[in-house]
Amino acid sequence: MSSAATPATTPPLGPRRVDDGRPTRRPRGRSFASIVLGRTAARTGAKLGLAWIVLLILMAVFAPLIANSHPLLMASADGTLSSPMLDHLTPADAGLFAAFVAGLVVLFTPLTISRRLLAVVGVGLGTLIIVGPGWQLIRGEPLLSRPALVVHDQYRESQANGDIKWAINAPIPYSPTDRLIDRGDTRQLEPSTTHLMGTEANGGDMASAMIHAARIALAVGLIATSISLVIGVTIGGLMGYFVGWVDLLGSRLLEIFSAIPVLYLLLTFAAFFPGDPELFPGVAVPRIYVMMAIIGLTGWVGYARFVRAEFLKLRKMDYVASAKTAGASVPAILFRHMLPNGVAPVLVEASFGIASAILAEAFLSFLGLGLLDQPSWGQLLSQALSDTGRFYWWIAMYPGLAIFLTVLALNLIGEAMRDAIDPKVAD
Amino acid sequence: MLNYIVRRLLLLVPTLIGVTMVVFFVMANSPGGVGGSALSEEGDISSEQAIIQREYFNQRYGLDDPQIVQYGRWLNRVSPVGFGEAKKTAGVPVGEDRDGVPQALGFKWPDLGESFQHRRPVLDLYAQALPITLLLNLVTLPISYVVAILAGVYAARHRGQAFDVASGATLLSLYSAPVIWVGVVLIGFLASNQYLQWFPASGLSSLRADEYDFLPSITADGWQRGWLLDRAWHLVLPVVCMVYGSFAVLAKLMRASVLESLGSDYVRTATAKGLSDGDVLWHHAFRNSLLPLITVAASIVPSLLAGSLVIEKIFSVPGMGLLTIDAIWARDRELVLAGALISGLLGLLSILVADLCYAFADPRVSYE
Repeated sequence: MSSAATPATTPPLGPRRVDDGRPTRRPRGRSFASIVLGRTAARTGAKLGLAWIVLLILMAVFAPLIANSHPLLMASADGTLSSPMLDHLTPADAGLFAAFVAGLVVLFTPLTISRRLLAVVGVGLGTLIIVGPGWQLIRGEPLLSRPALVVHDQYRESQANGDIKWAINAPIPYSPTDRLIDRGDTRQLEPSTTHLMGTEANGGDMASAMIHAARIALAVGLIATSISLVIGVTIGGLMGYFVGWVDLLGSRLLEIFSAIPVLYLLLTFAAFFPGDPELFPGVAVPRIYVMMAIIGLTGWVGYARFVRAEFLKLRKMDYVASAKTAGASVPAILFRHMLPNGVAPVLVEASFGIASAILAEAFLSFLGLGLLDQPSWGQLLSQALSDTGRFYWWIAMYPGLAIFLTVLALNLIGEAMRDAIDPKVAD
Repeated sequence: MLNYIVRRLLLLVPTLIGVTMVVFFVMANSPGGVGGSALSEEGDISSEQAIIQREYFNQRYGLDDPQIVQYGRWLNRVSPVGFGEAKKTAGVPVGEDRDGVPQALGFKWPDLGESFQHRRPVLDLYAQALPITLLLNLVTLPISYVVAILAGVYAARHRGQAFDVASGATLLSLYSAPVIWVGVVLIGFLASNQYLQWFPASGLSSLRADEYDFLPSITADGWQRGWLLDRAWHLVLPVVCMVYGSFAVLAKLMRASVLESLGSDYVRTATAKGLSDGDVLWHHAFRNSLLPLITVAASIVPSLLAGSLVIEKIFSVPGMGLLTIDAIWARDRELVLAGALISGLLGLLSILVADLCYAFADPRVSYE
């Protein structure tokens, strides 16, 4: 299809030239992804949803700066400056900060959307690995590690004693795990000026718990969905490309996994692998990764269906045949040629997938199968009705609203994206 | 048609084997393993007793056999065709087992085994719990369909107007509201003594319900609400929780489908020959728009079954969901496997029924 062969009928590709030889002004070519994102962001619902998600991301990234018992900066009685907040930072915190900075930088670069994403994730993960296990490997201990014994009330006590000259505290001066033991019984206090959202069943500050829980919700939602996507796209892609007995076997597998209600499977997995299970002798996997894996492993069926249907259509396309003739390997055909053309509807589904992963995490935590030492919205919600039947409205409303708004935001974005890639609606 | 049904029923078998296999091997490979809590050395059992109990479990359920043998044995027990005691099995005799009991290969009654935790036959436990879950679902399904159909038709008829936009937004919000939150808030505000105590917080009937008459009546002690009304009163909150989430999907589908029908040629013909708007909508467009709703019924039933899992837990309704959650907590192998089998069977059967209804409703669809 060279344009030079038939110059009279088909104009050459590229900037159209008029007689004076200068290219006319045309909008720069936009990728499909950026067109879809533009159309999505034009919807009011999606705008509101995006605003909420951005707020959540800010809270998740800067949680240690917003809600922390450890002062951001303080001067002890002899005048030495120190930052207990920095001392208690974890590699995960540093990774999130770095990813956030990378995200801001990348926003102003002309890279494609997938490369931008890759850069953000790469910087975040890289920082996490360097300051955590990497530093440990070279120097013997990680650069950032929280002391084994975290005492939250020491600052309040030493400030009262006069051991601290001055201190700059976080806006919410309580960590989520700070049970406020120095203040007596602080369990289930109603919202007040000291505790804006009240306190939870263990006596910790609700507002702080809510902010730190945003992190868990987003992390579980994003990573579990990525796991599902990888599994679903691989299985669905293979089924759609090879057809025949691969498809037959795969279809039975899909049938099996869709016959069991997802919640049932989720519960079975979570209850049978409680706490930090040792999957290999001596290697205990932290609960949060177990949760991500469980939710990811149970949620891939929908994506596999989508990709299979899409690939069944694509496999008869000319460009696939030509890639095959040119000698491309099967992974190259599947992932370099077919996937970019069939991935849009799957990515739209993924936005609903994040919502359901967040719901799944909340549900498991609500039943007491989630994280034990960190607050999550579902776990907070489970404290709203006490065993004696008392109801604490603030413990029910704030986490519930947070889950609701997050799920609603993701659903709104998903609906807008679905309409944006639908040629019937878009035009 | 009969051919097709038989083939589909036979295809259920490998799927159900797969379902129970997944659940079985997850259980068997988990730390602690099957029956973990029953076998753990709890405070009041001395280690000697624990050893005796473990021996007993091993002997009775074969927990010390290889996993695949254990699964095979379970499968043989629940399958209606297989090896069994010659007295209870109609088929060919095939020798004796280790204890000298004559065995036969043929048809027998499936045996779901006995629960570790309750020491009762699993079948009995599910026979008690299943009707309760089915009751919840049977009350929920018609309500969600009627409301969703009306909302969908109305929104399609007034496309782009205030009702359409408002109902779309409301239904999406309802769909996004997590059921654990709605359940807790409903109990907290409508069923606790701190706020309004309009409904009972848990259970399916009042303490004295079995002494009530069936219908409301006036007795010597005054007005008595009767068993039926009492049950309905207990069902209000659980059913509200189950219903609200399914509106959005169904109503959206109905709206799209009515819009498609309203744009078709036969509707234009009907309008052209002078029928009223109502006639066109209800007699011509409406029935043709119902088809997609039949197909989603299939996907709604399994999700309703799963939904009742959460709701039964929140409202302490002693149905299949609560039984299953407790069984999973206690690692009660027989109960968990039977639960997977029963809910898998119900889900698959509902898909089959939906497919058949589809052929029934649309003469163009044929499975021959």
